[in-house]
Amino acid sequence: MSLLSFAQWIQSTDLFTAVRMSWYAYPVILTLHLCGIALLGGMVLMSDLRLLGMAMRERPVSDVIGQLRVPKRIFLTLAVLCGILLAGAKAEEYYYNPFFWTKMSILALIAIHALVFRGSVFKKAAEFDRMKKLPGRVRFAAASSLFLWGCMVCAGRAIGYYDVPIDKLHAFFLRHAWGMG
Amino acid sequence: MLIELANPIVESPLTFPVLECIHILGFAFSIGTIAMVDFRLMDLWMTHQTPSQVARDVAPWTLFGLGVMLVSGPMLFASDPDMYYLNRSFQVKMVLLLLAIVFHYTIHRKAALSDAAGARAKLIASVSLALWVGVIAGGIFIAFV
Repeated sequence: MSLLSFAQWIQSTDLFTAVRMSWYAYPVILTLHLCGIALLGGMVLMSDLRLLGMAMRERPVSDVIGQLRVPKRIFLTLAVLCGILLAGAKAEEYYYNPFFWTKMSILALIAIHALVFRGSVFKKAAEFDRMKKLPGRVRFAAASSLFLWGCMVCAGRAIGYYDVPIDKLHAFFLRHAWGMG
Repeated sequence: MLIELANPIVESPLTFPVLECIHILGFAFSIGTIAMVDFRLMDLWMTHQTPSQVARDVAPWTLFGLGVMLVSGPMLFASDPDMYYLNRSFQVKMVLLLLAIVFHYTIHRKAALSDAAGARAKLIASVSLALWVGVIAGGIFIAFV
């Protein structure tokens, strides 16, 4: 099965069809998606600024990172789940959308970032507690994290600006030309 | 004559999307950091610090985010003032935004700085979160009503 036929199949399932057909489901899920991003974003900002030594300096690094770990995961999960609902509902359009693939690539980079710095930064946060100035790799991890999340937001917004050439859309013909679906 | 004046926001097709990205980052910073105080007032997270400590730690970044939001927002509005003015979702959003900002710098701030606890603190935190979620919803629905 090609990726395109997978996209066409997934958006034709009952769940994603329901999301696409309802006038309010899409904006409601989009709102939750953005709430997840905003809540996650605030926490990513504060933990990265702590690593950069620009905020919460009186609090131990391990304390800030440790306390935000669980809520960050919760709001990332919220954003991802809503993202899957949004993307699945328009999977065929998104298959042709270069900004969607840009966003997915940045998401992959964020996952790689987490894996790369997990051992050397996030699990060793307690070692940095008494340091006045944090090591270069820690500050690099924080700055690159902020950069990647910023790119993620921009790529996400850009998805809505790309118009797929209408003749490419199977669903368009089902709906308008053949009066089905 | 007026009609011939070009609107700088719509002059380049990139201006609006770039402003939107800045707007989203601005509200992520402000609403995300306010939510950290809310979650502390709810005794959910950041419990190693007192509410007043969390509030003081995040306050400069909340203000920074609000500043970015309140500069980029009116610029987005200026791209098509008539449309926004008449848009029901935009009208609701502006009322909620005003309430949210006033609430944040009065009742919410007082509760956080006085280390309020218990049901009253949880109620204030819930109202704060609900207002800000409402502001986001109002923004999203502008394009859908």
